[in-house]
Amino acid sequence: MNTRTLRAVRGGVLTAITWVIVVLTVFPILWMIFTSLHTNQEILEGINSLSLAHPQWQNYVQMWQTVNFFNYFKNSLIIDACTMVLACLFSMFAGYSLARYRFPGSGLFSIGVIATQMIPGIMFLIPVYMLFLQIHKWLGIPMVNTYWGMIIVYTAFYTPMSIWIMRSFFVAIPSELEEAAMVDGCNRWQAFWRVILPLAGPGIVATCVYVFLTAWDELMFAWVLTTTPDVQTIPVGIRLYVGQYQNRFDLLMCAATVVTLPVMITFFLFQRHFIRGMTAGAVKG
Amino acid sequence: MARVKLEHVWKKYSGDVVAVRDFNLDIDDKEFVVFVGPSGCGKTTTLRMIAGLEDITSGDLYIGDRRVNDVAPKDRDIAMVFQNYALYPHMTVYENMAFGLKLRKVPKAEIDKRVKEAAKILGIDHLLDRKPKALSGGQRQRVALGRAIVREPQVFLMDEPLSNLDAKLRVQMRAEIRKLHQRIQTTTIYVTHDQTEAMTMGDRIVVMRDGVIQQVDTPQRIYSHPVNMFVAGFIGSPAMNFIRGELVEDGGQIYFRAPEWNIRLPEGRHQALRNAGVIGKSVVLGVRPEDIHDEEVFQSAYPEATVRARIEVVEHMGSELYLHLTKGGQTFVGRVASRFDFRPGQDTQLVLDLNKIHIFDAETEEAVQFS
Repeated sequence: MNTRTLRAVRGGVLTAITWVIVVLTVFPILWMIFTSLHTNQEILEGINSLSLAHPQWQNYVQMWQTVNFFNYFKNSLIIDACTMVLACLFSMFAGYSLARYRFPGSGLFSIGVIATQMIPGIMFLIPVYMLFLQIHKWLGIPMVNTYWGMIIVYTAFYTPMSIWIMRSFFVAIPSELEEAAMVDGCNRWQAFWRVILPLAGPGIVATCVYVFLTAWDELMFAWVLTTTPDVQTIPVGIRLYVGQYQNRFDLLMCAATVVTLPVMITFFLFQRHFIRGMTAGAVKG
Repeated sequence: MARVKLEHVWKKYSGDVVAVRDFNLDIDDKEFVVFVGPSGCGKTTTLRMIAGLEDITSGDLYIGDRRVNDVAPKDRDIAMVFQNYALYPHMTVYENMAFGLKLRKVPKAEIDKRVKEAAKILGIDHLLDRKPKALSGGQRQRVALGRAIVREPQVFLMDEPLSNLDAKLRVQMRAEIRKLHQRIQTTTIYVTHDQTEAMTMGDRIVVMRDGVIQQVDTPQRIYSHPVNMFVAGFIGSPAMNFIRGELVEDGGQIYFRAPEWNIRLPEGRHQALRNAGVIGKSVVLGVRPEDIHDEEVFQSAYPEATVRARIEVVEHMGSELYLHLTKGGQTFVGRVASRFDFRPGQDTQLVLDLNKIHIFDAETEEAVQFS
């Protein structure tokens, strides 16, 4: 086989693998959407979900009536938006410092940030729960089943990865720009605010999207650390369609579709920034 | 406008790496000084210390009468042009140029006037609404200069501002920067690794190597009276030829001798050579390629300075040609008027202009000064 044929075969194989991955990824989403348009009976009987003779659009109305879904939606929005703002703020400053300064312990700090990502989140579940109880006991501040409790936990979990996303963006911005700004009349803070931050816009968007999407999907901590519907988030709320009153797989799928939509829309709107954010470190070091 | 004075300035990095060593320089008001040297010689570090972008490890830096070691860059009243232009990508050309003035709370009308004036001088007045990414390299360079001149600072600092431009544009911008300096007369410190830029632009040149100043002088003096082999070899293109040999005094005459070389040096140089104590020692004879002549008139006038050498390579440069020659195992280059009868492998007679040769102590590499 000559080089050209070899290249063509390799290209073909890679394309085939890509398509397999696409199908594997998209199929569950399609399955979810189609299933949401069947009756519960049909689903229980094991009907082929992809055949859609009589779409049950009223499922989507019933979904909102069966469970107070709006409430979970609101809780998710509040907790995730606050987490997003905080994590972005922290990671912006930390990422900038790591990109620009060599300070005592900066190497250790960088490794520490990455190291937190090596430990499975579930390992923290019991310690965090115990910590929350202790805080309540000793400081009198309720943490379990509160917005701020969830916001603190999520912020702590998503900040490290955000720091790395932001760092790679700041590294890619030439330091001469802020030096030029400082010679032009800025102090370091003004140079950061007026020159560097506007240029790091895509990085900030990428970080926000990452934090928001990850928090939006999080179930484990939300399930353990929240106990009442006034604080519980969507992933917890969705589970109530199965088991609380009856097993409504149709409504469960409707709810899943509804909560996936904002995520997908957000992602598609910002995907250019997001992809750049995730790959900036790899390409630009 | 102001004088810039550096007194015993050192820059050390952690691990005792010395980037700049005991730098002393007094730059006059309105002067155009060029720092030149190979990469890593400390020229940019020195410029950055003057800008306030690097801390000074020890020594004093004055701009005007003020000691500015601990003054923030923004308060030093300087403007800097960076190698990669460092234009703010999210701002238009106008905003880029106005940025420094806005920060200084200059009234809007005044900003507008100054930006438009500077843009006109630099021929970029039609580009004011564009973003930097929509500009060519030369235009970006002009905007960077414009951003510096609208500020009307006391000192301009330029860090290899032309090195990202192509050769033709570089020559053009070189002249424009010089013209600009003649017009606005602001004290300017210009860093480059290109000796041609240094020679053509500077009122004075500071040649640096390994963080140490080698020589500070006018371009003409640096060219004609280099203090050591480094300066002699760095300034000038093609570089000065170095021929290793020794000086021998014989019958009241002083000869430069090396295998196949025996050149009687002019009497006018004898005293200086004796004073320098290089007689009987290993020396390096330096001769610039343009001080090697092939015309017969020279050969008959200076038979004692005539050498026969083998041509190895002939480089045609258009109006002139470079002959790469070898004699007694030592190679050198001659720069002669263009002719087509030179052939590689052929022997030729050439005359060294002995009034323009340089003698360096082979051990210290210092030049013998012939005043």
